[in-house]
Amino acid sequence: MSQNLAPPIRRALLLTSLPVYGLLYAPLALIAVFSFAPAPGSTTAGLHWYNDLLHAPDVLAALRRSLTLALGSSILGTALGTLMGFGLSRFRSRARSGFAAALPSLIIYTPIIMPSLVFGISELIFFNLMHKATGLFAAGLLTMGIAHVTFQAPYVALVVFARMAGLDPNLFEASHDLYANGRQSFLYLTVPVIRPAIIGGFLLAFTLSIDDFTISYFTAGPGSTTLPIYIYSAVARKGISPDINALATLMIATVIGIGLLQYGFTRQKDRQTVPRTGD
Amino acid sequence: MSAITGGASIQGSAERAERLARAWRLWMTAGPGLFWIVVFLLLPSLILLGIGFFSIGNYGNPHLPLSLEPMREVAGYSILGWSPDNLATILRSLLQAISAAGLTILLAYPVVFFIITRPPALRPLLLLFVILPSWTNQVVRTYAWMELLGPGSTLSHLAQGAGLIPPHLGLMPGILAMQIGLTYNYLPYMVVPLYAAAEKLDWSLVEAGRDLYASGRRLFWSAVFPQTIPGLLSGIILVAIPAFGDYVVPTLLGGGKSMMIGSLIASQFLDTPNWPYGAALTIFMLIFTCAGLIVFRVMSKRLGSSEGSMI
Repeated sequence: MSQNLAPPIRRALLLTSLPVYGLLYAPLALIAVFSFAPAPGSTTAGLHWYNDLLHAPDVLAALRRSLTLALGSSILGTALGTLMGFGLSRFRSRARSGFAAALPSLIIYTPIIMPSLVFGISELIFFNLMHKATGLFAAGLLTMGIAHVTFQAPYVALVVFARMAGLDPNLFEASHDLYANGRQSFLYLTVPVIRPAIIGGFLLAFTLSIDDFTISYFTAGPGSTTLPIYIYSAVARKGISPDINALATLMIATVIGIGLLQYGFTRQKDRQTVPRTGD
Repeated sequence: MSAITGGASIQGSAERAERLARAWRLWMTAGPGLFWIVVFLLLPSLILLGIGFFSIGNYGNPHLPLSLEPMREVAGYSILGWSPDNLATILRSLLQAISAAGLTILLAYPVVFFIITRPPALRPLLLLFVILPSWTNQVVRTYAWMELLGPGSTLSHLAQGAGLIPPHLGLMPGILAMQIGLTYNYLPYMVVPLYAAAEKLDWSLVEAGRDLYASGRRLFWSAVFPQTIPGLLSGIILVAIPAFGDYVVPTLLGGGKSMMIGSLIASQFLDTPNWPYGAALTIFMLIFTCAGLIVFRVMSKRLGSSEGSMI
């Protein structure tokens, strides 16, 4: 088995991978260390820059927008995604193959594989044209939310689908035999059974939204600066600065916390470890 | 006789009703989500591609008649004559993406084999620790490297001391910084598929090789490495494609001189608008992306890798 590799090889693997783990965390740790830098004119390290953040109205406004956007889009994205994952798992005919049967999968994978730059620019043009034509869809939190739902729903669908695939089909037959109609069966059987996947999917959708930069950036309007956009413009304008370090540290801590929470929620069997750039 | 055929037709119509009910339920559940993606992503991206074939208006807006003017501009022709800048940008992006894939392979192999030689209960956690940094915001991750590679940083001082870069300059902005940023950002994308392939490794082949007194190197290249190729190929796709079109890394770490296609496209929609030109560049980027996908799909089909349980 894999464990009985020669000790020197195991040692070499350990010695070569530890630096890689170090490489992964060193930049993030460095930001955290620098975020405790002393205030100008002072020499004692401390929470000065965090304190500054609490009194920066534009940071707080950006945070509020990020949370509003993430919460709103995740609710809709989770609803649409759960229904998609459930429906495709239960009702897609397995007998038929070919284009018609593969079409839903193609549609679901499009937002996942499309480069986020192309995704963002497509939305920018679409909302711009729609706004000119109808006066609706002015660039702002609404257009950002629509774009976020578009990439959240497929991820939630994948998580829910994976969970559904692990269920015994007889479960649904049983509820049918007990004269449950489709809606009853969905609400009283499916939802409780796949609840971990729905919660996991919701948390995934939430972090995807909080993390997203590129797609948000191209769908944002003048008054809809979210946290990642705020950081990006601050960095592009003035380079590295201690208050951005503090803000970035808080974001890293939050996302890693939610990530671990989500890891705990999804069962070992259907755990989906999806790396993401969060752009 | 008639009773039999009657029975069969009743059965047939019941089957048809059942199938209709199934299709109806499918559309009631999966329909709204699919419809949402079609309206808010497929349609917009088709519009974007279409704009690449319009004439360029005075304010960079798309104009009729349809023309190949944006395509000519991508090839480097403008009112000022031909310039190699665009081709250089596309080539640079390709090279950056390929070398990012190469570097992530070098970093991922030891990590993956380190993880699969630990006890099974520990493996998911070790994998999670590789993935966790990728869950933080890409702007934040890239910003962290600005801090590490900027002109005042320790690494830059070391490089200045070693005479690698002129004094007062940093390791950033530039091509090296961009390369580091891309490799860092996309490393987990290489580790995950490689891990999936390595975890299913058939170790009996290694045992067999060992019984035949194969050397360690020989064992790796003939018994282990071939089994990881499917994972390696997915890893290359997952790293090279997003790295090729990345926007954040070249803008923050690359600086003005080392433009990549992602930042070139974005500037056609943000700074001085030129939608048809930007759309034509996007078409080129997607052509490269699809070509890469097809090449690797064909390769992995040849190697007989299976698809796994996908939607």
